[in-house]
Amino acid sequence: MSKAAEMATGRPALDIDSLSYTYAGAFEPVLREVSLRVEAGEFLVLAGRSGTGKTSLLRAACGLIPHFHGGEIEGKAMVAGRDTRRSGPGELADVVGYVAQDPETQIISTTVAAELDLPLRFRGDHPAERARAVEEVALALNIPHLLPRTVTTLSGGEMQRVALAVALVTRPPLVLLDEPTSQLDPVAGDELIWLLRRLNEEWGVAVVLAEHRIERCLAAADRVIAMEQGRIGFDGGPREFLEYAIATDPALATPSARLFSCAGLDPLPVGVRDARATLRLRGIQPGLEPGEDVDEPGEPESRSTGRALRSKALWVELDPGDGPVDVLRGIDLEVEPGELVALMGRNGAGKSTFLRTAAGLIDPVKGKVETPGGIALLTQNPGDYLVRERIRDELSGPAGEAALEAVGLLLDPESDPRDLSGGERQRLALAIALAGRMEGKELPGLVALDEPTRGMDRGLKDGLSRLATRLSERGAAILISTHDVEFAVTFADRVVLLGDGELIADAGTGTVLSGGWYFASEVARVLDRPGMVSVGDGARWLDTTLRGGQA
Amino acid sequence: MKRLSPLAYVPRRGTLQTASLAPVGLYLGAYLVLCFLSSDPVVLLAAAIGAGLTGFGCRADRAVWFSVRLGLLLAVSMVLINVLVTSRGATVLARLGEWPILGQVNVTFEAFAAGGVIGLRVLGTMVVIGVYSACVDPDRILQAVHGVARRSALTATLISRLVPLAATDQARLSEAATLRGPGATPVGKVAMAHRLLAGSLDRAVDVAATLELRGYAQSSGGTKFKKIPSRYDTRFWVAGSILAVAALFSIVMGAGELVTYPELRYSPDPLSVALAALLLLAGFTTWRRGGRRDVQGR
Repeated sequence: MSKAAEMATGRPALDIDSLSYTYAGAFEPVLREVSLRVEAGEFLVLAGRSGTGKTSLLRAACGLIPHFHGGEIEGKAMVAGRDTRRSGPGELADVVGYVAQDPETQIISTTVAAELDLPLRFRGDHPAERARAVEEVALALNIPHLLPRTVTTLSGGEMQRVALAVALVTRPPLVLLDEPTSQLDPVAGDELIWLLRRLNEEWGVAVVLAEHRIERCLAAADRVIAMEQGRIGFDGGPREFLEYAIATDPALATPSARLFSCAGLDPLPVGVRDARATLRLRGIQPGLEPGEDVDEPGEPESRSTGRALRSKALWVELDPGDGPVDVLRGIDLEVEPGELVALMGRNGAGKSTFLRTAAGLIDPVKGKVETPGGIALLTQNPGDYLVRERIRDELSGPAGEAALEAVGLLLDPESDPRDLSGGERQRLALAIALAGRMEGKELPGLVALDEPTRGMDRGLKDGLSRLATRLSERGAAILISTHDVEFAVTFADRVVLLGDGELIADAGTGTVLSGGWYFASEVARVLDRPGMVSVGDGARWLDTTLRGGQA
Repeated sequence: MKRLSPLAYVPRRGTLQTASLAPVGLYLGAYLVLCFLSSDPVVLLAAAIGAGLTGFGCRADRAVWFSVRLGLLLAVSMVLINVLVTSRGATVLARLGEWPILGQVNVTFEAFAAGGVIGLRVLGTMVVIGVYSACVDPDRILQAVHGVARRSALTATLISRLVPLAATDQARLSEAATLRGPGATPVGKVAMAHRLLAGSLDRAVDVAATLELRGYAQSSGGTKFKKIPSRYDTRFWVAGSILAVAALFSIVMGAGELVTYPELRYSPDPLSVALAALLLLAGFTTWRRGGRRDVQGR
């Protein structure tokens, strides 16, 4: 009998009772009197703003708290009948799989195949069982081509898929996932959620999934928990959660729920299919009527004659360890000052490589890329820019002050960068990249950010979006590589789509992110109207249509 | 897709990469021990060059040159520090007067020489570590450590993963340093080293947590790692044993002893010259018939 089947005989997958926890050296508890019971075979989504205790709750459920992080703990957490105060993460390894936020610290072995094999070896499985399990999980997650790869050559998204595969390879009855889709492209993200649902339905695997992009997983969830300041603020079904979110913190709600709320429609939809069904009941047919003619979505206008970025027949070759590979293949791209551009594409499409080549970190093998007004690039880990213990030591003088002002940071120069919030650290890192590249208050021609929304809730993403707009209004072109379609809708007026190193689409946000299955916003997938991608546009159209007017 | 750190392990069919851990440990360990214990400049220089030849034989050229650059930087720093803090020595080259904290600073030839020996020691150590990091599969080290430190994932991580983690972090931090605006305070070597050490230790703790989650410490008796035999094991056993015995013998015999203070006294004796020749010759142990082109990437 498998562990999952064993657990299905009545024992809860996870039983947390009045759990409070304070990290070592901290003054405030991160978890306060949390009680939660997850039944075997349940699919639970953990929602909440950044810093509300989601990650700590998951760590407590797999034994890392208190065994690895120390601190003070009250109450108890039982996993498959084992008390996490007595059983450490190693002893719980056969009953719980955990995927943490940062995939880079979760990959241990030299190759992907060895990484997947390792937990099975530790468990003492027979070689034949190990080989089968590795093959199965690789097929399920669509990563068989990665098996022989050296882990140091994987992109962030590939690492995330591998980390997930490792958590699933032992077929644990409970899987805990902390933002597992944050670095996955929309296709891989959706596939992952439905894979989890399939494992959940077919094998009774209990899933606890912490996620900011709630629209991705809500339709698959049986139940939603919303964390508020270390406490459980809400516990109920997905539709009730949306009502709670719209009433208390709309940033937690899905775009389609906000769309319906703005348009005064109810019930709030749990997913695209639900939304379209409700619209049909109201007599609104998603998509264009036969013969209906709409204006093509407007293309962004350049606000300046100068060029911020010019890439001509750009070819870049990198060696992942087993010979050189063409990562970028003949990219032609021009970006004007003041433009807000989202660089999108599937994992491994070459987005980061393009940005790094533009910043001069990689030499092209053919063609060229130029940034006539200079470039400031913020890479995926803002913490890498922060090497000193005082802000004053990182940035000083007029150049530093101008850069801090440009990113809207007003901080005590004596404060330690490590004490800043995630959003503030990111802005400080961007200020460090900008410092000295500005002429007075004039920004460099191109400000580029590589996957900046990892671990951010919607409130923080909106803040980043406002910052991007503000910088573009001051004349800089903004180029942000992202997998987050909803974030791209909020900031970008142009989307460049890469596919396997080639530029496959380059047009206005409304054109690229509507009418598709994956590279489309949730509003676009609900309404299916050309160019209609944002909640605001969709709500206006719905409002007009419901009043009987012509949109 | 990322660019690899020069110190990152790359699976190749080279001799060091495919040989078992024990003979490789003996072989590289002999170089390392000599770098720590010998104070003979000829032997130390030969150990550094021999270790470099070892790396070249396994196509770890980038790791060797990176380690040489880093080692030279540290070596020069060692010489400068020693010259400033040690005023002993009979041959005064310059009197720099009273300095804050250091007091009277006299630059002596002997302090230069003593600093140079420390620098050579650091250079050799860096090259050995660079070759080890680029050519020895961390998975094999982890398997070996699992046999002796089953309960401590942190110990296993520090032994098997600290160097690869530091190498990865170093590549990322260096990249971020080059992306800093010219108006931001430049990242000095000290700040970088401090950040690298702190960051690598933090990440080692995270990796140890992951190892725990994978079940490293679970008490299953069935965890057996299959030994993969290699036809190169014998040559590393032989070369490592010869080096170890020769090193032990020369140290016991006090070969090539260098006296730095109060006056520099050094005369390379035949034993130290022979040991140096052996170290250079042993560097070719990793080389295969047919040249380096034979060593194809997987």
